[in-house]
Amino acid sequence: MLLASVEYARPRSLDEALSLLAANPNARALAGGQTLINVMKARIAAPELLVDLNDVPELRGIRETDDGLELGAMVTYTQLARAEEVHRERPILAEVAAQIADVQVRNRGTVGGNVCSNDPTNHLPPVLVAVGATMAIAGASGIRLVPAEEFFLGVYLTAVGPGELLTGISVPRRQGGDGFASVTIGADGTCIANAAASVNGDVRVVLGCVAATPVVVEAPSADDEAVRKAVAGAELDPPSDIHAPAEYRRQLAGVLAARAARQAREEAA
Amino acid sequence: MSEPVAQKTISVEVNGTTYEREVEARRLLVHFLRDDLDLTGTHVGCDTGNCGACSVIVDGTLLKSCMMLAIQADGASIETVEGLGADGELNPLQQAFGEHHALQCGYCTPGMLMSAKALLDENPEPTEGEIRRAIQGNICRCTGYVNIVEAIAAAAEAGR
Amino acid sequence: MTETATPTSALVVEEQETRPGFIGTSVPRKEDRRLVQGEGVFFDDVKRYGMGFVHFVRSPYAHAKIKSIDVARALELKDVYGTLTGDEVAILTDPFFEMSVPPGSEIKDYALAVGKTRFVGEPVAAVVAATRELARDAAELVEVEYEPLDPLVDARRAQDSDAPILHEDAGSNVVWEGVFDWGDWEGTVAEADRIVRIKELHFDRFSSTPLECSGCLVEFNRGTGQWTMYCNHQMPGIGAIWMAPALRVGTDKLRFVTQDIGGAFGNKICLHPYFVACCLLARKLNRPVQWTEWRTDQHTANAHGNERWFEETEVAVKADGTLLGFKTHAIDDCGAFPRYEPLGCIIWAQVTPGCYRWQNVYVDFTQVATNKSPVSPNRGYSRMQHLWFTERVIDIVANELGLDPVDVRKRNYVKADEFPWTTPNGCVYDSGDYARCLDIALELVGYDGIDKRRRDAESRGKLLGIGIGSTLDSGTNNFGQSQLLNPELQFSGNNEVATVKLDIFGEVVVTLGTVPQGQGHETTAAQVVADALGISPDDVTVRPGHDTYWNSHAGFSGTYASQFAVTGLGAVKGAVDQLAGEIRTIAAAVLGGVPEDAVVLEGGFAKLRENPEAAIPFMGIGAIVNANNAILPEEARHVTLNCRYVYVPPFEVPDTERKYGNLTLTYASQIHVCVLEVDPETGAYEIVDYAAVDDCGNRIHPQIVEGQVHGATAQALGAATHETFTYDEQGNLLTPNFYDYHVPHALDMPPLKTGYIESPSPFTSLGAKGMGEGGGAGIHAVCAALQDALRPVGNPIVYDSCNPPHRVWELISNPAESRGRISVESR
Ligand SMILES: Cc1cc2nc3c(=O)[nH]c(=O)nc-3n(C[C@H](O)[C@H](O)[C@H](O)COP(=O)(O)OP(=O)(O)OC[C@H]3O[C@@H](n4cnc5c(N)ncnc54)[C@H](O)[C@@H]3O)c2cc1C
Ligand code: FES
Ligand code: FES
Repeated sequence: MLLASVEYARPRSLDEALSLLAANPNARALAGGQTLINVMKARIAAPELLVDLNDVPELRGIRETDDGLELGAMVTYTQLARAEEVHRERPILAEVAAQIADVQVRNRGTVGGNVCSNDPTNHLPPVLVAVGATMAIAGASGIRLVPAEEFFLGVYLTAVGPGELLTGISVPRRQGGDGFASVTIGADGTCIANAAASVNGDVRVVLGCVAATPVVVEAPSADDEAVRKAVAGAELDPPSDIHAPAEYRRQLAGVLAARAARQAREEAA
Repeated sequence: MSEPVAQKTISVEVNGTTYEREVEARRLLVHFLRDDLDLTGTHVGCDTGNCGACSVIVDGTLLKSCMMLAIQADGASIETVEGLGADGELNPLQQAFGEHHALQCGYCTPGMLMSAKALLDENPEPTEGEIRRAIQGNICRCTGYVNIVEAIAAAAEAGR
Repeated sequence: MTETATPTSALVVEEQETRPGFIGTSVPRKEDRRLVQGEGVFFDDVKRYGMGFVHFVRSPYAHAKIKSIDVARALELKDVYGTLTGDEVAILTDPFFEMSVPPGSEIKDYALAVGKTRFVGEPVAAVVAATRELARDAAELVEVEYEPLDPLVDARRAQDSDAPILHEDAGSNVVWEGVFDWGDWEGTVAEADRIVRIKELHFDRFSSTPLECSGCLVEFNRGTGQWTMYCNHQMPGIGAIWMAPALRVGTDKLRFVTQDIGGAFGNKICLHPYFVACCLLARKLNRPVQWTEWRTDQHTANAHGNERWFEETEVAVKADGTLLGFKTHAIDDCGAFPRYEPLGCIIWAQVTPGCYRWQNVYVDFTQVATNKSPVSPNRGYSRMQHLWFTERVIDIVANELGLDPVDVRKRNYVKADEFPWTTPNGCVYDSGDYARCLDIALELVGYDGIDKRRRDAESRGKLLGIGIGSTLDSGTNNFGQSQLLNPELQFSGNNEVATVKLDIFGEVVVTLGTVPQGQGHETTAAQVVADALGISPDDVTVRPGHDTYWNSHAGFSGTYASQFAVTGLGAVKGAVDQLAGEIRTIAAAVLGGVPEDAVVLEGGFAKLRENPEAAIPFMGIGAIVNANNAILPEEARHVTLNCRYVYVPPFEVPDTERKYGNLTLTYASQIHVCVLEVDPETGAYEIVDYAAVDDCGNRIHPQIVEGQVHGATAQALGAATHETFTYDEQGNLLTPNFYDYHVPHALDMPPLKTGYIESPSPFTSLGAKGMGEGGGAGIHAVCAALQDALRPVGNPIVYDSCNPPHRVWELISNPAESRGRISVESR
């Protein structure tokens, strides 16, 4: 419950935030704090410096673009769940954001924090891969764009390198339909397994909680059988834990993939 | 340029009173309220951000004060359970919690009341489902929630 | 998210008997005003000048030798006040008293680990510093060298020849063992038409996990040698019995003070090791010290409920479903130290045959120590495990013999006209009507239409199941049962204290011995006092909490074992009746020497029955006795208006040879019915309908009673669906906080329907029965409903008390595994 000593800075611009991070290899960005402060309470993480992103204007806001949406990294789940633009352009994001944890966590937790922490049980990574999002990462040498599929590298590990920040996520406008399904620990709890799907001619199913990073499965069609078969063929090797033995996660992966695909299929129709 | 600091004198308004205190950067907002300001109505029930006993409203946003640093609240305006009633009078929510036996040990109550307040501020006519969703981040180990949900519905009714 | 239906409205099935006065009505709770304003005082709210914060250094190993502890680096930190280690504790204190007979009695339990650690999280040293954070920094600098040993995690392996031994002094992992043999098991087997055999059932570890964790602020008074603990110990009387001898002082040197407690449920009974460490630190450092337990500490190293295995059970049944008897081997896992144990080895016997007329029972009971957190009497203590077992047996028997679970229950329940009913071990069930409660519960969930709902669920790809949980809440212990464990123990009976006084300005002030944690004692005590004195509860001040200085407690004081309505209010009633008599004495004397029974108490006055004009206000009476007593005649001068009463229930010492006798005074009953729908593809399930019917005799405050039913039910549903303290093979707890230990949220709770009947207890002054612990019925009902739901998919047997989705899926995907646990022999 009690944090180790730490320094704190509250930059007012992206440049300032980047230079604070660059100056101290043991600095960490602080977004909503809904993960980071908890791991600091457990003293699993003990950074020397917290760079609070809450006053960085470049990371804020939701914008509608020609192709879809631009989400600032500091957009909260509550904002995502409520924004009219999101309901218009890619409603699955709002639907899923509204299922994350509880009101208080949704009021603080951010899109950027959710993907940068890349906890394999988090809701957003599989969804963003399924919808074909692109991540914008800023560093000393400017901004680079990384497709969501290549963004997640390992448990708690992403393409955001030392001294870099995720600034925003662009999400293409919905063409077909999207779906999401999960089995959680209690209502709206942590995911035991989840799956996101996007159907637009081709079928893209992305599984969460079954590996260190979201697993992409391409199915020839969106009907239940085809999807289940594709998942079965993916040779998943999911982790075992107190909530689910590997065998059970494998079962859920197939079931949830089919359900997510069904939702996407029906939405697309 | 904002310089990194290990401690700082912060100025925070809580329930209309402004406090200035020096805090270490690592101090959690909940401990600042409880230990430094002696506002002990806000409680701690977990160490993982799950229980909501520490819920307060910061600049209009309901949040769990065990997942925010006190130093982040510099310049903020905070509402806690102590500020709910005016001059010792109970507000309709507090009144309804008593009438509907929405508390037993009362340990979850301050956080629960803050979540209920945040709900009613925004949605004065919530359905039962909306009430349950609004307090999902607040654990109560005593009541089974039945009477809490009733009390919030009754307070909403009374406020209409 | 499902929108849930409208919440509870109590189904009133009994024309409420009209009782004059406040008893039986839901008056506003006195506690609430301060609590809704955030003005309660919980232990962690108390501050003292110069206080230091305690942080415990805890073992990362389940089982290890402590080779060395070095605190030097911690002490070098600025503003670190001092440390304490196990070596010091071993010198400064004696081991805590153990209740068991050998070998269990040889166990040495100290405030900190001495020489060895026996569970992950066990405190091995303590550090005190100026801030909470700093204390933790310093604790991280304490260097402990461990030599890891093999841990013992599975209680069933505890007696294997190669099992690691936790307590070398005891030389065995057995804490206690004994055989309970009532009736005639051999004869029963001969009489039976069927013997149903159940290889293994498992009641999982969990606990009620009160929202407030434990802690204390301890001051040591050098001048008097006395410690004051502002704390949340729920049973200070027993706490002092443990602590004082260990600290080598009398109990007069220990003062416990509590005001508000954030729930306890039995989990705050075994705090003495932590408190002793804090007492030693306060004395050593000569400053107040404060210890706050955090959630992860509480889950790993404070108090779990008992885990229990039932091996090789045999049930003797007639073909028509008449239950004759059962035999089982129970293995109870009490974790690393017995503490309140082995009392749990006998407490279950309060409800030996459950709600049923079983006459022949054979239980071979063994309690063992393992490298896990110690246990404590968690809500429903020991009876819950046993009642879950009896309910599982009923449903398994019904399932295997093709009988209707409702019929089997009704055929075997103790019948309404059979009370008081004596169980095969001499317990006396006071009153009740289980079959009627079951009917009401079934009606509440619309049992008649259940087949239609089953088909409807099926059409949506779901499996619907309905299950019953019948349970008893035995209240007011006869501590004589401890002698069944250890005939040398000098415990028997029970007691509780209350003091009621009339003060100088007419204030009516009540102090209780109980240590409430949300049960509304201030309110119900005020109701009883108000009725006896003819005033309103608003005119009565009940001091919140507990203070040893009030001298309003006795050896068994506390809030536990569902007894307040009987012992606590019995004491209040005794004290206020005395006070009423004294008020009459003074009034009779002052109003002209009339007989006392000519005086009535009404509206804050003592009046003459025949001439209400002749009246004296309570204020006058208070003033005369306290400040103007020279005017009193000699025969009224003994009056103090400060009446202390000790309630002692009518118990006898049980027969230790036969393990026979009455172990509890009252038996409230709860019948729950659960309807759920299982998603067969995922094993996830949702409770779609739920009814809880309660009978706790006369209800003093119906709203509080109903609140207890809701809360206990929520805890049971949590335990049935998610809550488990599961360990890995190394003895690490896998659910060490609310992140992985999922307790029910508002969205997890189904709509609850409640009903009640009132079967007054013939054995208590108010006709009331203790209640609050009967919610365990929810665990039984969920297990039964799951088994019912899964019948079409291979008819698996629900063998564990906790069934999260993955376990349900395992039952579905491999029914043969659980079916292999069962066999039926026809004779
Ligand atoms: C009780 C509870 C339940 C929860 N349940 C769920 C759940 O069911 N599903 C779910 O998905 N999540 C859940 N969460 C986690 C929650 O979603 C967190 O908000 C999220 O994981 C982290 O977001 P954050 O904004 O709080 O980030 P922080 O905690 O502030 O940061 C997380 C990490 O990301 C890094 N980071 C943050 N922003 C950036 C950036 N812009 N650029 C580079 N690095 C960055 C930080 O340095 C840190 O390492 C839960 C949290 C709690 C407390
Ligand atoms: S103490 Fe903040 S959520 Fe539990
Ligand atoms: S009233 Fe005790 S935790 Fe809610």
